[in-house]
Amino acid sequence: MRSHCLDNSFQPSPRGCNAAMLSFLSLLFFNLLITFTAAGQDYYERLLLRPLPQSALLASFNFRSNESSASFDQQNFRYFPRSLGQILQHARTKELHLRFSLGRWDAESWGQRPWDGAREGGTGVELWAWLEAQSEEEAFSRWLTLTNALSGLFCASLNFIDATKTIRPVMSFQPEGDHHNSSNLHLLHGTLPHEVVCTENLTPFLKLLPCKGKAGVSSLLDGHKLFDASWQTMSIDVRPVCGKDGADCVLEMEQSVDMVLDIDRSRRPRDNPIPRPLPIEEIACDTSKHYNAEDTCYPLHKSAEPGWNLTEIFGRPLKGACPLTDGDGEGANTVCINTPPERIIQANTTGQYLETWIASDTVRCYKLPTGSDFDLNLPEQEMTTGLILATPPLFAARSINGHGQERGSIQAIIRNPSATDAVEFVYLESLPWFMKPYLHTLRARVDTTSTNPIQETYYRPAVDRARGTHLELRMLIPASSTLTLTYDFEKAILRYTEYPPDANRGFDVAPAVLKLLSSQSSLGDNKGVYLRTTSLLLPLPTPDFSMPYNVIILTSTVMALGFGNIFNLLVRRFVGAEEVMALGAGGLRGVVAARVAAMRTRLLGR
Amino acid sequence: MSLISALLALRRDPRILKVPPYLSALCILVGVVWLLVLPLNEYSRNTYVSENALLPGQVHTYFTGSEHNIFRAYRHEVAALADSPVHERTQRLGDIFRSSNLKVATQKYEYHSSGRNISNQNVYAILHGPRADATEAIVLIAAWRNMAGEVNHSGVALVLTLARYFKRWSLWSKDIIFLISGDSTSGPQAWVDAYHDSHSPESIEPLSIKSGALQGAVAVDYPAGPWGHRYDKLHVVYDGVNGQLPNLDLFNTAVSIASGQMGIGCTLQRMWKHDDSYQERLQTMLRGMISQGLGHASGPHSSFIPYHVDAITLQTVGDGWHDEMSLGRTVESLFRSLNNLLEHLHQSFFFYLLMQANRFVSIGTYLPSAMLVAVNFSITSIALWVQSGRGASVPNPASTTPNTASDSKPKASTPDMTLARTATGAATLIPTASLAITERHLFLPLAFILTSHFLGLLPLYIFNKTPEPYLRLAFDTTTVVTTLLPLATALLFSKFRRPTSQETILMQCFSLLLLGMFLSALATLNFSLSFLVGIFASPLTFVRCISPPPPNSTSVPGLVMRNRKAISGAVVGLLVLLNPLVVIRAATFYWGKDVVDVLVQAAEGWHVWGLWTQVVIWLVWWPAWFAGSVVVAGGLFS
Repeated sequence: MRSHCLDNSFQPSPRGCNAAMLSFLSLLFFNLLITFTAAGQDYYERLLLRPLPQSALLASFNFRSNESSASFDQQNFRYFPRSLGQILQHARTKELHLRFSLGRWDAESWGQRPWDGAREGGTGVELWAWLEAQSEEEAFSRWLTLTNALSGLFCASLNFIDATKTIRPVMSFQPEGDHHNSSNLHLLHGTLPHEVVCTENLTPFLKLLPCKGKAGVSSLLDGHKLFDASWQTMSIDVRPVCGKDGADCVLEMEQSVDMVLDIDRSRRPRDNPIPRPLPIEEIACDTSKHYNAEDTCYPLHKSAEPGWNLTEIFGRPLKGACPLTDGDGEGANTVCINTPPERIIQANTTGQYLETWIASDTVRCYKLPTGSDFDLNLPEQEMTTGLILATPPLFAARSINGHGQERGSIQAIIRNPSATDAVEFVYLESLPWFMKPYLHTLRARVDTTSTNPIQETYYRPAVDRARGTHLELRMLIPASSTLTLTYDFEKAILRYTEYPPDANRGFDVAPAVLKLLSSQSSLGDNKGVYLRTTSLLLPLPTPDFSMPYNVIILTSTVMALGFGNIFNLLVRRFVGAEEVMALGAGGLRGVVAARVAAMRTRLLGR
Repeated sequence: MSLISALLALRRDPRILKVPPYLSALCILVGVVWLLVLPLNEYSRNTYVSENALLPGQVHTYFTGSEHNIFRAYRHEVAALADSPVHERTQRLGDIFRSSNLKVATQKYEYHSSGRNISNQNVYAILHGPRADATEAIVLIAAWRNMAGEVNHSGVALVLTLARYFKRWSLWSKDIIFLISGDSTSGPQAWVDAYHDSHSPESIEPLSIKSGALQGAVAVDYPAGPWGHRYDKLHVVYDGVNGQLPNLDLFNTAVSIASGQMGIGCTLQRMWKHDDSYQERLQTMLRGMISQGLGHASGPHSSFIPYHVDAITLQTVGDGWHDEMSLGRTVESLFRSLNNLLEHLHQSFFFYLLMQANRFVSIGTYLPSAMLVAVNFSITSIALWVQSGRGASVPNPASTTPNTASDSKPKASTPDMTLARTATGAATLIPTASLAITERHLFLPLAFILTSHFLGLLPLYIFNKTPEPYLRLAFDTTTVVTTLLPLATALLFSKFRRPTSQETILMQCFSLLLLGMFLSALATLNFSLSFLVGIFASPLTFVRCISPPPPNSTSVPGLVMRNRKAISGAVVGLLVLLNPLVVIRAATFYWGKDVVDVLVQAAEGWHVWGLWTQVVIWLVWWPAWFAGSVVVAGGLFS
């Protein structure tokens, strides 16, 4: 037990292993708790708050609505949103996973990802689904139907997921639901790394909820705070869940929002968000420094946990329970907070609420009052024990190396922090077609052994303007080692019209997805353990776009001059100098004289 | 038709061969005058910010108040580290960064050049932008020691304070990297090399944490000690390695923020007093050209520019009333502008000459001057090629000028005539000499030119490999050897294989041809270097080997012919003064620099920064000078 605790604790603390052990175990227990309470009810929601180091706060919202397969097929929607249900039926989608993400998870400070990474996506939008179709072509056309419909529903550019951004992963994704009843399922996966997730995506997301953000934990979701988070991800997962014998199937839709808020930043009032320097009186100075003076102050690091409350952090109050949730039992505890037992928490409401301490007192859950606001208040407090964060099974970082307009190389560094266990994982890369990897330069090195960590490779090369590169590698990384994966690539030159308006920004490359094969999910289900790297910015050779305009201007000028001259030559009557003399000086007299002269020549000439 | 035949007739006119030297001289003259008129209002332009996204100076800056107290404390901390060992220093600086909740890493590096060992340590911290997705980053640099070798007390303290201050803002859409490099040139080079993974892993540590593509870098150089020093102006340093420049928008943004928003005057190229007169502008421009031509690193920002990362250094100069907070607010505003960028800086100019903080000329305006200087070599080279293909000179049969020689000896001067018939039966009399085919003997000239260019590798190797204590000896020896080498070569030629006058002409022709081509190509990359080399090499256009008259010639030798040895000697003497080594020595003497320091820097440039100036000097300029000198010295021994 003791060794296990040390292995998994992120910061071995002097406070003794027992307390730490408790918190960590309780976390696992708590996660299990969430999972098992799921199946029975038709609607379930929960908010889990967990303070993280460096005054960060993880808020995990989870909403689940079930609809029996029979009523779903009859289009009898109750908790399941009709808008999404009809799209799924039309596109014959059996299982759907949609992710909107922003920012990055700081695994070094925050530890293991929420839901083991199974409910998050890469930066931007990520979508994968299992569709029922007879052939690949049919599957792809249904996929296009799905992406276009979802694009309208979620106000996102999902319709830009075309053939060049779609791959068919082989090893990285497994269906989460029970698909005994369907055959010919096709998995398609698409990403939009450049998509900026913002409030226009949150509003349709909230509309899918039965309480629509008016009551229950979803009433805390405010675009201003959600998109000010250091990291946030919104996910929608639809899957069929069946009983043991394959009957009593229900279609389960799970929506979750995970975000890491910076407590200091979130507490700033909305009308005055500028972090002005604090008055010097409010800064704790290190008076032990020899130079400490009236005008010189070495700031002391604050060790106390910052005080906060829900209304301040989320910018709006929690408007009581959603009436659709269970009135009693596990499902009624909709707000939970995972802190050490010594942390003081005051619930603030005019209505009836119920506090439950579970998981060795490290988790406190609250049954919300109906119809009145609810608030949790945590005062500033000096803590003696801390929450121990689980170490993630792998750390991954990916970057573009090299410089210049022609070539580059990708380097992915994957570290296994475990001292005992080797980790087997699948590494999935989906590259745009204009980034052409040289597979012969693919090298994977492990710093502790000389054996090749790559066990299986699946590679589907790109076709210009038709499809992107799809690379899946199954790799094994020994305990406490670092794996470095590198490969070179060539940058294609795009056609003039293929550049986006901000061509000089570069092109976003979707994050790599790592799926862990060996380690079982701590949630004890088949969601899997995932990890995603950050996206990359690929600078491509870019023409000077003022050039076409220069060319247009120049050609127009030349055309104008040329046309003017030729037109002049064609239509102007040229008159010899003598004739001009003959015509005289002009004016009325000249005209008359010319007429006379012309008449005379005509008469005399005859 | 008549025009073409007139031109064809002119082709054979010996007068046409007299034009090129004048044309070359005109090119050089126009090239130099072109440069001299650039500072005039009519030829230069006011700077302007092209990139709309930058919006310089449009934000309020809040870096004041209690931040000043913290800055003073950090400056004391930095001062306490001034004499401590490197690892202790980086550890402490890293701790201060860590206390602001930033990700910190260090990097050790080691370079060897001129027998010296440059080893130090960089420490850097990454602020994850709350609105960023790790795809883009901007860099704030303070070198531990500035270019003058002083400890950058206030600069480092300012970066530490700004790191703490920037962390509180939620508006950063790019990561910000705070880099405290061990020194001003090698440290940033090691860091930026490792960031792009193009470092040599034996001596330079890879970076353990990275961010996205670098979009810009700003270095601060403020060496005021723990009790501060109020400065007068900001000196904006913008020259990159090999004369590459940052995008003009970055420079303009910095100048616009400093002078427009903060009221701090900006100066450049060490022109502390600039009253915007013609002379001052010209001097600024020439200083900029010399700095660009030398191509050396001029600050911590220089190493970033070859990686297409636009970078500048802000250096405080003089005694005035601006304090560290105004520099901090300038940096804050500059970073807010860079944070606004949606695309990599690309709108404005990458090739420009600045003559004041808000006046510049762009490449289209200044390039012709270096091109004209380069073209003068090509013109002479073509003329020499034509000349080498001619036999003995043929008097113009159509000439009506009475020939004094033909008057006295009509028999001897009447040229041999050949009767030529055309297909239609028309017959003409043509001088036989003009029908003769003159063959060019190319082997000796080509071999000589190739050898002289390869000879340039020797000084290149010597100066980059010699340890510092022997550099002075190496320099003096090389100066003497290269000065005597043309004479010795000419002597050897005269003893063993005397080149014919045609071969001599061809040697010079090829040498000038290569020089012209190299310089015109170089002008598009490093205008100033091309122009400077072109000016110093321009006398090579006009020097000729004065061969003795043919032995059977009966004409009276002219003044030149009679004194040809003396004239050749004088020209060789003049060329000795233009020996690249002598020029380098004279330049270091003029600017009061030690030649060894210059060579040490150049060697560091070669090994660390990837400097190409030496290649141009030893493989382009020196061979051209050598070939020209050998040709002239040939006149002494014939």
